[in-house]
Amino acid sequence: MIINYKLLLTGIVYLAILVTACGQNEQATPAVKPPTQQKAGEVIPQMPQLKPIQVTEDTRQTYQWYCSQCHGVKGKGDGINAKFLTVPPRNHTKAEYLETRTDEQLFEAIKFGGLSVGRAPCMPAWGQTLAEDTIHSLVRYIRELCDCEAF
Amino acid sequence: MKTLTTLLLCGLLFSAPANAGVLEDKNCGSCHRLKVEDTETIFTGPDLHYAGNKFQPEWLKQFLINPEVIRPAGFVTDPGFLPKTDLPPHASSSEEDANALAKELMGLKISTSTPVTSEPLTKGLRAKIKYQFERTFGCISCHQSLNLAGKVRGGISGPSLVNAGNRLQADWVSDWLKAPETYTAKRRMPNYKMEPATLDQFTRFLMTLKKENIK
Ligand code: HEC
Ligand code: HEC
Ligand code: HEC
Repeated sequence: MIINYKLLLTGIVYLAILVTACGQNEQATPAVKPPTQQKAGEVIPQMPQLKPIQVTEDTRQTYQWYCSQCHGVKGKGDGINAKFLTVPPRNHTKAEYLETRTDEQLFEAIKFGGLSVGRAPCMPAWGQTLAEDTIHSLVRYIRELCDCEAF
Repeated sequence: MKTLTTLLLCGLLFSAPANAGVLEDKNCGSCHRLKVEDTETIFTGPDLHYAGNKFQPEWLKQFLINPEVIRPAGFVTDPGFLPKTDLPPHASSSEEDANALAKELMGLKISTSTPVTSEPLTKGLRAKIKYQFERTFGCISCHQSLNLAGKVRGGISGPSLVNAGNRLQADWVSDWLKAPETYTAKRRMPNYKMEPATLDQFTRFLMTLKKENIK
């Protein structure tokens, strides 16, 4: 296995910055912009082949019910918790960023939480709450919101 | 003799609603679910049909006399999770009414929780769970709590936990983290499958959160 040291270093530095976690307070570090230069597919090893998944009314409702608490009703990252978090919820309508993330990375972020993909822990894990198919369809829905695909 | 009859009559008249229950009498059921059977109505206030499992009686009484805000964004019922604006304060009751209401509420139970310990955590364990509360599980993204410096911080989509140690029963907290479906069919909080030891420590951690510790 080839290790990408530059990537590893960025990861370590990033994690170190994030040690103050999610609740806003006086001493909190300013919101950190995660590195966006990562090339898709470099870190995530083999993932099982994704089934074609549709965005249904159910997907939208799931997003509204759970995700809008932080990501906002329209996915713009402006949910009611947003201003209390040290790291702002990702704006799911922003193509520039989401193009740099693979579907697998988005899937992992939702299933195992932000930490699992080198992102902030303020993004909780939904793997015990949502079925895998639902999570796949949420990834497709986010692609719809940003009107973008991974490079 | 005439006065006596009037008195008796009055007594009869007044005792009628009292038999129906003071909760009903005060119309609490117009906003709160008080009966297990009632699964259809969408209420504008939190469920109280398991109040006897959930709350500490002394807190309940104080809340009814002098209500505090528990859900800073209101009790959100719409699917899009839009915060309520212009929240009216909760109605307050006289001490006498509060006693009667609290007593009746404490009688509303739907389960027998397994008793757990609510012994305070050692300092080290508290720091560990606080870390997990903020990072491993991200609870703080949705719940206000107290940091080690005694400051209120955290998100507002879930009920505030700043006063959890005075407000909630430890057994119920443990139950909620283990099997929330016992109490609420559809929730917005993620499910967590905690190890028994973690569950125990989380429960005890939440019970250390008290509003008198706000600095
Ligand atoms: C408690 C608040 C909260 C909730 C609820 C929440 N998120 Fe997030 N989410 C965040 C935060 C904060 C980030 C930003 C993390 C970062 O940039 O480090 C994020 C980031 C993300 C990302 C981007 C990860 C990346 O690669 O940068 C995705 C995808 C995502 N969330 C999907 C969802 C979905 C789907 C749901 C609903 C099932 C959801 N989130 C619910 C807070 C939340
Ligand atoms: C107009 C609707 C309305 C009426 C009538 C009403 N409540 Fe409430 N009640 C609410 C709302 C909304 C909340 C949530 C407040 C908060 O979280 O800050 C609440 C919260 C509570 C709580 C705290 C519950 C919890 O889980 O935090 C109790 C206890 C309570 N009410 C008891 C009563 C009693 C007893 C009555 C009758 C005397 C009553 N309420 C009448 C709307 C109402
Ligand atoms: C995505 C937001 C979110 C996260 C993350 C979250 N909760 Fe919650 N929590 C809620 C909401 C919303 C409720 C109200 C019931 C519901 O809809 O699920 C709740 C209810 C509760 C209650 C019951 C409080 C009451 O008064 O009824 C407790 C206790 C609790 N959460 C503890 C925790 C703990 C401990 C964690 C971390 C292990 C956590 N929560 C993570 C949103 C969240």
